Amino acid sequence: MNHLVNEHAPLLVNEELGRGIWLMTVEAPAIAAGARPGQFVHVRIPGMDDHILRRPLGIYAADAAAGTVDMMYQVLGFGTSRMTELAPGAAAVELIGPVGRGWQPPEDARRALLVAGGVGSAPLHPLACELAAAGADVTAVLGAGTAEALVARERFCAALGREPLCSTDDGTYGRAGFCTPLVAEALEEAAAEGRPFDYVACCGPEPLMRLVAGLAAEARVFCEVSLERRMACGVGACLSCVVDTVDGKRRACVDGPVFPAEEVVW
Amino acid sequence: MQRVPRETNVRLAVDLGGLAMRNPVTTASGTFGAGREYHDFVDVAALGAVTTKGVSLHGWEGNASPRIAEVPSGMLNSIGLQNPGVDHLKAHELPWLAEVGATAVVNVSGHSFDEYVAVIEALEEAPVAAYEVNISCPNVDAGGMTMGCHVPSVEKVVGMCRAATARPLIVKLTPNVTDVAEIARAAEAAGADAVSLINTLLGMAVDARRRRPQLARVVGGLSGPAVKPVALRMVWQVARAVRVPVLGMGGISCGLDAVEFMLAGATAVAVGTANFANPHATVDVIDGIIDYCEEQGVADVNELIGALEC
Ligand SMILES: Cc1cc2nc3c(=O)[nH]c(=O)nc-3n(C[C@H](O)[C@H](O)[C@H](O)COP(=O)(O)OP(=O)(O)OC[C@H]3O[C@@H](n4cnc5c(N)ncnc54)[C@H](O)[C@@H]3O)c2cc1C
Ligand SMILES: Cc1cc2nc3c(=O)[nH]c(=O)nc-3n(C[C@H](O)[C@H](O)[C@H](O)COP(=O)(O)O)c2cc1C
Ligand code: FES
Repeated sequence: MNHLVNEHAPLLVNEELGRGIWLMTVEAPAIAAGARPGQFVHVRIPGMDDHILRRPLGIYAADAAAGTVDMMYQVLGFGTSRMTELAPGAAAVELIGPVGRGWQPPEDARRALLVAGGVGSAPLHPLACELAAAGADVTAVLGAGTAEALVARERFCAALGREPLCSTDDGTYGRAGFCTPLVAEALEEAAAEGRPFDYVACCGPEPLMRLVAGLAAEARVFCEVSLERRMACGVGACLSCVVDTVDGKRRACVDGPVFPAEEVVW
Repeated sequence: MQRVPRETNVRLAVDLGGLAMRNPVTTASGTFGAGREYHDFVDVAALGAVTTKGVSLHGWEGNASPRIAEVPSGMLNSIGLQNPGVDHLKAHELPWLAEVGATAVVNVSGHSFDEYVAVIEALEEAPVAAYEVNISCPNVDAGGMTMGCHVPSVEKVVGMCRAATARPLIVKLTPNVTDVAEIARAAEAAGADAVSLINTLLGMAVDARRRRPQLARVVGGLSGPAVKPVALRMVWQVARAVRVPVLGMGGISCGLDAVEFMLAGATAVAVGTANFANPHATVDVIDGIIDYCEEQGVADVNELIGALEC
């Protein structure tokens, strides 16, 4: 069973990567040791005064040897703005983790397609590393608003030893427009080569995930998606975060956040 | 790390209308699952009791998402009493609570008078220390709060539950009434062994930019530190109006908060929304009560009950 800890996590790094997207590295050895790709941490941010809830963030990297956890966060509201003010070396956050059901690729996955919209690249990065290390052939598709927001590109290059397929809404890098055409083409090409994908994983805005799930279903490839819901407890107790599935309402925090796409009622 | 309360010579045990609690702290229904979800953080057997999520006869789907919104010093929820039904609780959660040695209080809900009774009847052979009858949920259309707002329906549902069990019967009151003392007296007269309050305050949050409500159900229940002054006032009023003990809750997040409720008349307290920010909150509250008692020379926590000097 997945055991949870609540870890006091001093900041080592907190820097803007580009366009309101930040990287935070913290010292959290217990979570780093236990984390599986696709799991998340539930973050208590100091100095939140009258904002009483934690914020859920995907684990961008977990380094068991160094005892560190990386999070990639987009500045959206009060909590993520407050995070940018925390100083490495001085501040600390508190993390509940590692939470949730992560990615569960088929055990014999040989060829995988990972599709990330925006900061959805965070929880896909550890999966890319794991699949590549297991010898799978991994193609990554990264979509973002603009070139400067393609902040995970280099890490995916390093993990996969090749360029991810990129798209930007404004055409400043890679294909102009949404990333779904790249996904459709990759699926078609792989099928045409006679080496179809056997796994698709997607994290990003819900409309993107729905489209990618549809493309994967058409191509008859097993697909998983990572869903976002507002969360209070983050440990499965409060039923704030439910997702409609073919098995009824299930909790995004502990039954997910990753669900087989075929189980999700969109 | 699984925490337990610290050692002390202060006597912490309280009697909540026949429910023997090893210390005055339980969990607020709906915020703690059935205890298992928090067992990595606190030894739930070390709590005064674990109060489980509201349960109905055959289970409910609950409301659409989004179900929560963060608001200043609190949150709104419209979970809608989602639960898998009493048989699931009996088969999976209660045996686990018994196995770890926890004191289980089951929060009972229903859409009709008969449903409350049926849930209690289904639990009479199960390891349950007390029932908390929820006639105060603001998030369901039938039953829940509508039942807890009128003296005749309070008398009827409490009377029927009373007839169904000899176990301690706690009746959970809504703050969304004009005169909470009157409702508390009706519950007492109909046979309640204790009353608990407050359930959440009906509220609402709007996203101005999108011109939409933040909750799918539009309205929801407010909880957390924002409601504490209202909760304290109501506990104080009710404690003066009835002879049965009071279980106080609403925004409690530290030992001093709990002591305030006890001084206002509560025999025991529940920790709810605070668990979300701090998964060790229940044990922190117990430790904080101990700190206060040691500091103030209080040998027995019962000395605090109603000791407010006005
Ligand atoms: C499992 C999971 C993993 C996530 N991983 C990442 C990640 O790796 N990087 C990243 O940038 N973002 C991620 N998010 C989204 C992130 O949690 C929100 O952007 C963040 O909570 C916004 O907080 P805020 O205080 O800035 O916004 P506010 O609007 O001030 O927040 C108000 C409340 O709404 C909640 N909320 C607002 N937006 C979202 C959202 N999109 N999803 C869930 N709750 C929300 C907040 O948690 C808070 O309770 C993830 C969400 C989930 C559920
Ligand atoms: C997410 C959530 C779910 C709740 N579910 C229930 C429930 O099932 N039954 C019930 O009697 N009260 C329920 N409540 C109310 C709490 O038990 C408690 O009365 C209230 O939240 C005030 O306490 P607090 O401020 O410490 O949370 C719920 C509250 C929250 C926040
Ligand atoms: S956030 Fe509480 S159950 Fe998922």
